[in-house]
Amino acid sequence: MKPPPFDYARPESLEEALDLLARHGDEAKLLAGGQSLMAMLNFRLLAPAILVDINRLDRLAGIEEGDGRLSIGALTRHHALETSDLVAERLPVLHAAMGHVAHLAIRNRGTVGGSLAHADPAAELPAMMCLLDATLRVAGPAGTREISVHDFFTGALETALGDDEILLGIDLPSLPPGTAWGFEEFSRRAGDFALAGVAVLVEPTGAVRLALLGVDETPVRARAAEAELARGALSDAAVGQAVEALRAEISPLDDLHAGADYRRHLAGVLTTRALAAARARLA
Amino acid sequence: MSETQRPKSVGARVQRLEDPRLLAGRGRFTDDHRAPDTLHLAFRRSEEAHARILAIDTATAAAMPGVVAVFTAADLAGEIRPVRAESRMRDYYATEFVALATNKVRYVGEAIAVVAAESRYLAEDAAAEIEVDFESLPPLGDTDAALAEGAALLHEEAASNVIARREFARGEVEEAFFAAPHRVGGRFRMHRKTPAAIENRAYRAEFDPGRGHLTVHSATQVPGLIRDALAEILDLPGSRLRVVAGDVGGGFGGKASLYPEEVVVAALARRLEATVKWTGDRLEDLTTTSQAFDEVVEAELAFDGAGRLLGLTAEVVGDVGAYSIYPWTASLEPVQVISFLPGPYRLPAYRGAVRAVATNKPPMGPYRGVGRPVSVFVMERLIDMAASKLGLDPVEMRRRNLVAADEFPYRAGSGLMWDRSGFHECLEAAVAEIDYAGRRAAQSAGPGADGRLIGIGVASYAELTGIGSRISAAPGMPINTGTETATIQLDSTGAVRAAFGIASHGQGLETTLAQVIADELGVAPDAVEIVQGDSAAVPHGTGTYASRSTVLAGGAAILSARGLRERIVQVAALLFEAAADDVEITDGIVAVAGTDRRMSFRELAKAFYSEMGRLPREVRDELALEVTRVYDPFFGTTTSATHIAVVAVDPETCEVEVLDYAVAEDCGRVINPAIVDGQVHGGVAQGIGAALFEEVRHDADGQCLTGSFVDYVVPSAAEIPAISVTHVESVLPATEGGFRGMGEGGTIGATGAIANAVTDALRPLDIDIMELPVTPERLFRLIQNAKINAKTKERDET
Ligand SMILES: Cc1cc2nc3c(=O)[nH]c(=O)nc-3n(C[C@H](O)[C@H](O)[C@H](O)COP(=O)(O)OP(=O)(O)OC[C@H]3O[C@@H](n4cnc5c(N)ncnc54)[C@H](O)[C@@H]3O)c2cc1C
Repeated sequence: MKPPPFDYARPESLEEALDLLARHGDEAKLLAGGQSLMAMLNFRLLAPAILVDINRLDRLAGIEEGDGRLSIGALTRHHALETSDLVAERLPVLHAAMGHVAHLAIRNRGTVGGSLAHADPAAELPAMMCLLDATLRVAGPAGTREISVHDFFTGALETALGDDEILLGIDLPSLPPGTAWGFEEFSRRAGDFALAGVAVLVEPTGAVRLALLGVDETPVRARAAEAELARGALSDAAVGQAVEALRAEISPLDDLHAGADYRRHLAGVLTTRALAAARARLA
Repeated sequence: MSETQRPKSVGARVQRLEDPRLLAGRGRFTDDHRAPDTLHLAFRRSEEAHARILAIDTATAAAMPGVVAVFTAADLAGEIRPVRAESRMRDYYATEFVALATNKVRYVGEAIAVVAAESRYLAEDAAAEIEVDFESLPPLGDTDAALAEGAALLHEEAASNVIARREFARGEVEEAFFAAPHRVGGRFRMHRKTPAAIENRAYRAEFDPGRGHLTVHSATQVPGLIRDALAEILDLPGSRLRVVAGDVGGGFGGKASLYPEEVVVAALARRLEATVKWTGDRLEDLTTTSQAFDEVVEAELAFDGAGRLLGLTAEVVGDVGAYSIYPWTASLEPVQVISFLPGPYRLPAYRGAVRAVATNKPPMGPYRGVGRPVSVFVMERLIDMAASKLGLDPVEMRRRNLVAADEFPYRAGSGLMWDRSGFHECLEAAVAEIDYAGRRAAQSAGPGADGRLIGIGVASYAELTGIGSRISAAPGMPINTGTETATIQLDSTGAVRAAFGIASHGQGLETTLAQVIADELGVAPDAVEIVQGDSAAVPHGTGTYASRSTVLAGGAAILSARGLRERIVQVAALLFEAAADDVEITDGIVAVAGTDRRMSFRELAKAFYSEMGRLPREVRDELALEVTRVYDPFFGTTTSATHIAVVAVDPETCEVEVLDYAVAEDCGRVINPAIVDGQVHGGVAQGIGAALFEEVRHDADGQCLTGSFVDYVVPSAAEIPAISVTHVESVLPATEGGFRGMGEGGTIGATGAIANAVTDALRPLDIDIMELPVTPERLFRLIQNAKINAKTKERDET
């Protein structure tokens, strides 16, 4: 479990980092918190020729509010997000989710950008981005571009990022005042990747957002279920119909810890509970 | 002063003497030694579960940077003499111990070739370049595949994939079942587990070419056994071969056997005249360290209307993996299942039969509890099933059947002899501790507001510990594991040093043995230096396993400390010109009672060793201040306990939470309650792991699916409840000191308690837990099926 040989570079500027990526193409790998990448290297699942360590790019870390949105830099550590008062106040659902990301030691190193670029379908942050309609800011050789989160996750561990691009950060639009939320997930141990998880937002207008993790190749916005809920004003019957709709909308994978049927079942149970929690907060 | 007035350290919560070192990161583990010229090994392992090796090409690897040498089995043929895990057991085939695979591989991860290089990184880079040409053979992924008509043979010379069989029978089993008004039974399945010690296996060997001395530092539980085995394999006298287990980070049985890497490290140090090191990584640990359980047990229990047990039968099929592990044999784990199945119960008739089946999985070996966690799971489920059939409370069912105080010694159905132990006392103590009646009352009020179902599970068990020379620790094994030696000396500086053949690897034996000696000698525990984990410490020793060390080494410690004390007293009597009866020792000070004549151990030692003329010269020989005694408890002694678990099951998410846990155990005289508590806590955590979380999985082709701690799920502190431990000292056993072994019990009781608690919780759904671990996925399927069954029943009834 030692990584295969690789070169190592630690650029001091974004330009330098982009330049290294441009030169090495798919032979290069960005290194952020290393919490996913190092494990893959040690298992020799990856053999990049060069690691480009972006930990010196301090400007990519931080949480700021402005223009009706919250901007979070790619190099922001999970723990910074978890303990940010701003996040807790503006986006309590995100605050709640962060406590479920791995263990403290991993949250101290792991970064927002790393989690999104790694795109594990069971990770919390990708699903939260889908819930919060995030926009991702990306730098590449031709300048910066923005990608809607709904176009970003293309498969398990696959994204719309190019080999020569760096994720700079994300923008999260503010939520209407009075938005209620719920978050539920089930994992075998504290800190494990969840077998399934659900986050909901209920806006004062009655609009409902529902995002799931661990139940498909990518995080899922359950649009059909959202529609049922909005139509039925969160009544018990609507919740029942939403769960039916949701179970049809997802296609969970079988893996060692949970079969597809169980995951589909869990998705429904957790959705019902998350909606109950949101309803309680509305009241 | 009389015996009873002396301050006693036995029985006190003495802080562990090894902890300041271990907790401050000052321990010295095998991998911690970093000599600059060390050669690091990496193994080329098999990716095939079952294949013939047609060719191995090491040329590319040998030419890579930093590589010193590459070896295959052929290259080491003259270096490593074959050994086998022998047994006197009939119907047993001893497979050969394989250091590097020769013409066949038998499990994924088996070592085929080895690279010695300047660093582990370079060694791994080169190992990845060793080309092996395989001819695949049909994989025997489980016992069904291995037992199938016309199945390929794993070991052709064995002529069968069943490499061990055994049967125990007592009483009139057929008649008992024929006459019995009631029976319960079924097919129980316990999946495969791995010990998962925090420190992976590691070996480092140093060779002194001038003297021809080989020193092997091994993260092992059994340095004496390894020394003896390596002496045979490498053809070296023990005087030139030393095996040292420094600090060892847990073993749980996984470090109690001889391993291929250990032999290769030792052989290459001699061959290359160098220091050679291999530290296993977690992937290697999860795929090559000996594993446990993996049994199917078909069992049936017969009983009468009053709940009295009449008979028990069991057929066990054990998946023992690819090889018969050295020295314990492949029969160890599955045979223990039928040895201990009758449990602490009065049972007139019993028949248990077992088959050990070889498959393409890593070898089965000893694991904390050996077989007993499986017997307890099965028997305790049967007891609860019987109670449920009669409408009896599980505790009452046990009260009616546990062997009573006046029935000891009691011969169990498998031939094991129980000496008196607190079977009933433990049950009652656990019932009181957990407030059983109160819990039942709360439970009958129905599920809580959160919809979770509460279950209470009881498990009682008995085990044999501190086994002496009359019985082998493994069936028919021709190696004596029944004696321990202690050598205690007062050296010329007045320091007390006690040497043993055991090898503490987390149990706190440096403390408990020091406490025992302290009380005998009249010194403080921290004044006693314990030397252990070193084959050179005593002429013969095996190590630490099978809940033996406190009973055997503790007994030897008492005997030799007493002998040394007698000599110190006689020497003092001569020096003081007083009567020996008047000499007393307190806190390392030797004095004549009622006078102000006193001297320290240092002064006494100086007078004895250095100050010529103070003693007659014969005395220095006759009263040599070093005493060696061997202790052999001959049979061993019974340790018993009752565990009670309270769980909450969420029938929607299928999560099981262990809310509360009580253990009442009788381990005889408790030397250090804090250490016993710690051992029980850790054991229960592992038992909860076995019952709810941990499972080594292989696919049908024998590929391991659980090669990391993401996929092999060990419970963490968050999943383990507070555990209360009650020590019941019923009647002290006949062992020296009155000690019983207790290192494994926590694991043994937990499987049954958890399985019964989950079943109890699911009573409204009519589900019996027959398979462990009961993971959320398994629970989901059980609940789905139960719902379908309930619907069908409803339909049929209308
Ligand atoms: C035991 C364990 C448990 C875990 N449990 C959870 C869990 O429950 N939930 C969860 O969400 N996660 C979990 N994780 C993953 C953890 O959150 C990681 O920190 C995270 O997924 C990756 O972040 P990182 O900064 O460490 O990225 P790295 O490991 O450094 O990189 C990951 C990938 O992202 C790329 N990358 C990194 N930064 C950028 C960037 N700015 N632009 C473009 N590409 C980039 C890298 O090239 C690499 O491909 C767990 C990890 C471990 C080890």
